[in-house]
Amino acid sequence: MAFIDIEDLEVTFEGSGRQVRALKGVSLAVEEEESFGIVGESGSGKSTVLRALCGLAPVTGGRISIAGDPVQMPRDQAFYRRVQMVFQDPYASLHPRHTVDRVLSEPLAIHGFDHAEDRVEQALEDVGLGSGFRFRYPHQLSGGQRQRVAIARALILEPKVILLDEPTSALDASIQAEVLNLLDRLRAERGLTYVLVSHDLAVVSHMCDRLMVMQGGEVVEELTREALQAHATAKDYTRNLLTASEGFTRDPALRR
Amino acid sequence: MSPLLSVENLRIAFPSRQGPVEVVRGVSFSLGRERLGIVGESGSGKSQTGRALLGLTPVSGTATADRLEFDGIDLRHASTRQWRKLRGARMSMVMQDPKFSLNPVMTIGRQLMEAVKLHGGKSEAHDKSIAMLEAVQIRDPERVMAAYPHELSGGMGQRAMIAMMLVTEPDLLIADEPTSALDVTVQIEVLRILDRLVSERGMGLIFISHDLRLVSTFCDRVLVMYAGRVVEELDARRMSEAAHPYTRGLLNCLPTITGDSRPLPVLARDAAWLE
Amino acid sequence: MSIDASRRSLSEWLQSEQPASRRQARLGQAWRTWLLFTGNRLGMIGLAIVVLLVLVAIFANVIAPYDPVLGGDLRTERLLPPSLDHLMGTDDLARDIFSRVIHGARLTLMVVALVAIIATPIGLLVGTVSGYFGGWVDTVLMRITDIFLAFPRLILALAFVAALGPGIENAIIAIAITSWPPYARLARAETLTIRNAEHIDAIRLQGASSGRIIWGHVVPLCLSSVIIRVTLDMAGIILTAAGLGFLGLGAQPPQPEWGAMIAGGRRFIIDYWWVATMPGIAIFTVSLGFNLLGDGLRDVLDPKAEK
Repeated sequence: MAFIDIEDLEVTFEGSGRQVRALKGVSLAVEEEESFGIVGESGSGKSTVLRALCGLAPVTGGRISIAGDPVQMPRDQAFYRRVQMVFQDPYASLHPRHTVDRVLSEPLAIHGFDHAEDRVEQALEDVGLGSGFRFRYPHQLSGGQRQRVAIARALILEPKVILLDEPTSALDASIQAEVLNLLDRLRAERGLTYVLVSHDLAVVSHMCDRLMVMQGGEVVEELTREALQAHATAKDYTRNLLTASEGFTRDPALRR
Repeated sequence: MSPLLSVENLRIAFPSRQGPVEVVRGVSFSLGRERLGIVGESGSGKSQTGRALLGLTPVSGTATADRLEFDGIDLRHASTRQWRKLRGARMSMVMQDPKFSLNPVMTIGRQLMEAVKLHGGKSEAHDKSIAMLEAVQIRDPERVMAAYPHELSGGMGQRAMIAMMLVTEPDLLIADEPTSALDVTVQIEVLRILDRLVSERGMGLIFISHDLRLVSTFCDRVLVMYAGRVVEELDARRMSEAAHPYTRGLLNCLPTITGDSRPLPVLARDAAWLE
Repeated sequence: MSIDASRRSLSEWLQSEQPASRRQARLGQAWRTWLLFTGNRLGMIGLAIVVLLVLVAIFANVIAPYDPVLGGDLRTERLLPPSLDHLMGTDDLARDIFSRVIHGARLTLMVVALVAIIATPIGLLVGTVSGYFGGWVDTVLMRITDIFLAFPRLILALAFVAALGPGIENAIIAIAITSWPPYARLARAETLTIRNAEHIDAIRLQGASSGRIIWGHVVPLCLSSVIIRVTLDMAGIILTAAGLGFLGLGAQPPQPEWGAMIAGGRRFIIDYWWVATMPGIAIFTVSLGFNLLGDGLRDVLDPKAEK
């Protein structure tokens, strides 16, 4: 059995008298210390997979298990120590009135960790921010620095699994490279398991060993990085996505 | 032929507690009937440059230039009336998110027809609007005409927006991140439409974007901006010959599907670039 | 080191982009807010009026030249016009109106403070809990709020006072009970937008309990708009208290309450205008002060204007 095992996951949102089926039976398996990517366009349900996994979206069907244990509803404290998430928008994912120190100490307080002071200092060191950043407010940080704080927050409980929801799509290209390198390094150092969601095939191909393409709440296909790089795909949808990702091509046939 | 637009030493400053801060510091370029890309990261002043060309610098800011000429008209001293005649009719702008640029309580059709009527041509407004929606490859123009902006998807909304900006057949279109909010496949479709309109109608296009790779495949010429200045001007086909370390760094730090450089080269900023 | 230099270094310490401790970060944040507030001239005028009210209330015994309750000689000192001896004149019981207005500041401040202390937490609690949990909790709490909102404030206060008996304490309770529902509505509306923010999802994923999330994450974000609203409402609260006093249901004679003083002076407003006018001016000034302060706070604290 795989480390993260999801079978026939269904998520249905109910609101104002209509139902939206965001996930229509998604299955995936991620091995320990693997980096797994989910690619898709808006509305494909790629972020919903992550949100359902960590209990932020209502699971209406299917099974999720991590390291062989079925995930309970509601999630227990042990789950949060094992699975953490980094969000897309670093401007929205930090509380505007809390200092970096508070952001990092709070999870430690909730889970009763000892040596909180040292752990906060170490976490800041690990993500490449010195202790000079410890007592700053989010508005005193740049987008890249905020995302580093968000990564430090996810790591401070020493989880095994990190869910990454478009972690760099709100950042400039040069900052994106820094954050991707940081994530890469942390995974190698700590043997973390990543599930990375992105609309950007290049980011997923760079970060992940295996990936899954989603469309309309369903899995289109699963690929290895090598298959993606060789354009060895069986589905037209994936091929279109690949071509589109490589930039604009002037199509003479379209010029009338 | 004289250029469509020429800009010399454009400077835009905003007041702050520490005195005025220049966000654009001496940008010069000229534009013919071509596709010009302006690329830069957030805070590089690329969007403010685009807005200043249309006289849309926010009221708190001041824009000055040694020369700012559009088809022989000096834009620096243009009156409100002159601007009204220029904007929409001869120069237009497409913004990043159609949701904020379209009036939410008016149908697309009404907004389109209003644009046509404002610039002459009351009688054929309806036909012209339909034709324009067809030109941006909206399959069911009658339905879209009757729809409100929130009833359209992102790609549809952006196409409607482009249709609205082009229905008056402007000579210059400024597109500020027109496709950043869209999915990649939709993005390419929208770019195709823009591309076709530029080549068919002989428009000048200024394409402002953060995406160097996209711009280099779409535009003829690229200006790379850093901290309010143009650090390099390049032929889009010769992107690999970029000389400035910033441009090179920006190109290299992007992950690619095929490449496998690990770790990614990181852009080392040099204080000397600011000078 | 000169005073000027030490002041400069203090300001630098406060505005440091790299605070070295929790205390410095918090003080620095407060200092930046204060700098922003000082730029607002009307807000500063409002603050000055409110501070003046507090000082007057504290030092009422020192400032007031006469006793506010015991009058002077009823034969010679009744209804004297304003003069140097009696700055605001005297009333029909030969009491110095200036001293009474000064002592009235205490009552007014007490009303304002007690209402704020009682109504704000209730409103915040009901609003954030209702907004955060949603569902039936929201329905129940909001219907209760609606019931309280449906009564006109003064009428409900009248009913309470009629039931509990007249007196300043009962008037305060009545006003507090009728003034929390708008704060609950406001806090709920704020909470509804906050609870879907990514930073709330993030803390939920850290395993935080609902109580911790509401208290530590939602309330601080609602607090500023509620404070603004409370400050702006203060004028209305003072007027309601004065209204109750005027109707004889608030402060009881001989307490120097401004509304009751106006009521006492209305009988001879044509011949002896100052008796009713002086406390009226006091009510007007303090209400204006709270309104200006509230407007100034809104410019500084409103999360929607914040970048």
